[in-house]
Amino acid sequence: MIESLQHLISGFEIATTVANLLYCLLGAIAGTLVGILPGLGPIAGIALLIPVTFGLSPTSAIIMLAGIYYGAMYGGSTTSILLNVPGETASVITCIDGYQMAQKGRAGPALAMCAIGSFIAGTLAIFGMVFLAPPLADAALAFGPAEYFSLMVCGFIVLSNVTGNSLLKSLMMAVVGLIIGTVGLDPVTGDYRFTFDSMYLLSGIEFVAVAIGLFGIAEVLSNVDQPLENLEQKVIVPRFRDLYPSLQDLKKSVGAIFRGAGIGFGVGLIPGPAPVIATYASYMVEKKVSKHPEEFGQGAIEGVSGPESANNAACQTAFIPLFVLGIPFAPPTAILLGALMIHGVVPGPMMISDHPDVFWGVIASMYIGNFILLLLNLPFVPVFANILRIPKKILLPVIMLFCITGMFTVNNSIDDVWLMVFCGVLGFVMRKWAYEAAPLLLALVLGPKLEVAFRQSLMLSHGSFRIFVERPVSLVFLLATLIFLCVPAFQWVIRKWIRRST
Amino acid sequence: MMKRMFCVLVVLVAFIAAAPAQSATFPEKEVQIIIPWAPGGATDLIFRALAVSTEKYLGQAVVIVNKAGGGGAVGYVEGSKAKPDGYTLVTAVTPLTILPHNVKTSFTYKDFEPVINVVRDPAMFLVRSDAPWKTTKEFLEQAKKNPGMISVGNSGAGGGVHLIAMAFEKAMGVKFNHIPFSGGGPSVTALLGGHINAVSVSPPEGISQVQAGKLRIMALFSEGRFDMFPDIPTCKEQGVNFAMGQWRGLAAPKGTPAAVIQKLHDAFKKGMEDAGFKKNAKDMAVNLSYMSSGDLGKTMAADHEFYGILVREIKK
Repeated sequence: MIESLQHLISGFEIATTVANLLYCLLGAIAGTLVGILPGLGPIAGIALLIPVTFGLSPTSAIIMLAGIYYGAMYGGSTTSILLNVPGETASVITCIDGYQMAQKGRAGPALAMCAIGSFIAGTLAIFGMVFLAPPLADAALAFGPAEYFSLMVCGFIVLSNVTGNSLLKSLMMAVVGLIIGTVGLDPVTGDYRFTFDSMYLLSGIEFVAVAIGLFGIAEVLSNVDQPLENLEQKVIVPRFRDLYPSLQDLKKSVGAIFRGAGIGFGVGLIPGPAPVIATYASYMVEKKVSKHPEEFGQGAIEGVSGPESANNAACQTAFIPLFVLGIPFAPPTAILLGALMIHGVVPGPMMISDHPDVFWGVIASMYIGNFILLLLNLPFVPVFANILRIPKKILLPVIMLFCITGMFTVNNSIDDVWLMVFCGVLGFVMRKWAYEAAPLLLALVLGPKLEVAFRQSLMLSHGSFRIFVERPVSLVFLLATLIFLCVPAFQWVIRKWIRRST
Repeated sequence: MMKRMFCVLVVLVAFIAAAPAQSATFPEKEVQIIIPWAPGGATDLIFRALAVSTEKYLGQAVVIVNKAGGGGAVGYVEGSKAKPDGYTLVTAVTPLTILPHNVKTSFTYKDFEPVINVVRDPAMFLVRSDAPWKTTKEFLEQAKKNPGMISVGNSGAGGGVHLIAMAFEKAMGVKFNHIPFSGGGPSVTALLGGHINAVSVSPPEGISQVQAGKLRIMALFSEGRFDMFPDIPTCKEQGVNFAMGQWRGLAAPKGTPAAVIQKLHDAFKKGMEDAGFKKNAKDMAVNLSYMSSGDLGKTMAADHEFYGILVREIKK
């Protein structure tokens, strides 16, 4: 403990040199930009800047590249809140309540709470990292295919009805997500499935295209669908006192931020799309503990501050398996691993002892980076909030342009843009009949992982399903899922029984 | 009629005359390398570093474009259809000679002109350091006694290390339980957690765990010893006659003029010999291995043949 603190102090000495502060700032700015642009995510941002870092020391290089990753978590919420366009995948959930807040002239508080929540959660997660990294990394190893499968089942069942409107409709959307998630390369045999000899379908259905289509493009189409007078009048002018959160907003958000940080920290240790799962879980929890669950979906601030804190904590925590095990659990950390290796630092069990300057320097820079990001983001809140004053007839085409260019940059593929437009039309129709997009997107993320884990487990057990109940961690998750499913049924039976006996 | 013939002739002559002129001034703009995998993988990283070190010898920027998907097929289709003018290259990696056997593709290695080979990675089996086997032979004896019981992870179905594991099993007359993962990282994680018995990898995957003493190299499939671990004997030294590896090089679309290929080859060769690049490769535990255009072509043809037989046997 004391030793960790001493190392951390020496890390701060490394991170606070003028050069390293500058690289941290550069990374934070680049990350925020990458997060704001829809489509372009931290992976592309880091990949683009790796060659720039070749002349730098490993510590400076990683400080800058890591800044892009967590900086993107700050920027990602901006377009979700203002335009209903998720800036990156971990900000899908933020669209739901963030956009509603913006429509009510409260974009400022939503944006500010995102920055504050991200800062608090990020800082807490780094604390957790400093003191708990090695034991936590070992705990993460306990997750084999069977455990992973049961966890995914649990997550899937619990989270698919995240907005809680109609269970039936949510499940339908989740199944659609599962089905389109099977398109592409079969992960076990290496054969192509449901590709209809199309080159484009070989790589599967692009998540980002579906997400931007179902949220962003569908939003534009819904706006266009209104009578013209409506559209011209409806300009949101935020009042000055609405630019920053009120005391009530802060009070409501404190619990959400800390819970979000906890969820993000826990989920971040699990391999896979941790930030996405963390945001869904946080939203679900906030809705369950809230005294006013009916506010969710209508612009509840907890529905913004919770998930945004969770994705930031999860993204910081993702550095634990990277640094301690040398294994990237998430795609952005995979590219950071490569960046470290190109600079002669091999992450893994030996990294803390072999390269203490890099390890502690980067950790210390994350504290500084989170602070820089807070300072960087808060002053821009009024600027961003005022974007909504632009008349819709100008704003809507600009959003379209933004989505199309952003989508193209992901894979340099025009087909992705067409898929996005198609999903936009689909999303528009879905809204008309009140089908939610969130369960579909969750299924699209989890489905392929679920399938791989399931088939791997059965291959390991030579076809026996007992592997799922014989392994304790896996059994716990399955039992939890069962309880979750049974509780409403029990409640119903008990209520009926009470009614009869009275 | 004669007039039209004449026109065709003029155009043809103009083309023939223009071709050397074009290659004389090549390159006039930036050269693009398509990587058929997502950013961050071993191929991606080493070619990003090579791109930077080659720019000064080529006199133009070298740009990396990732076209991931379909186990590499998406990028290779794009590469095979690109204009054969030398401004678009692809990374030619072992799966180029495996994919066309595994699934229906519109390309084979014959749709590309080899430019240069850069890397040759040895393949190896890793086990946990507490595994009961000490030598490759002990490991194989165990496998012989319990067919199908030793689980061996790989980084993807039909990928290079998966097929190498299968070729090993075939050559030794044993049977493993192959478990595919989505990438080398997840397969090494599963081994560390004790969920599988061994894993088939190419460096740098798992290297840091071997250095830390958490994993051991059970079988090294290279011809010579591994620079980073000079104490580990190869399979051949242990009397197990098996060696296989993967190559990573560059290729251009079919029809790219030979003079342009030569220019690209020379520039990338200089880039490979650049001190900065050599250091990058050493830091990443990547085994540099130069091959000329002709030799890479021969290797591609031989491996295409070899994997064709292997895949047909597996699919039976």
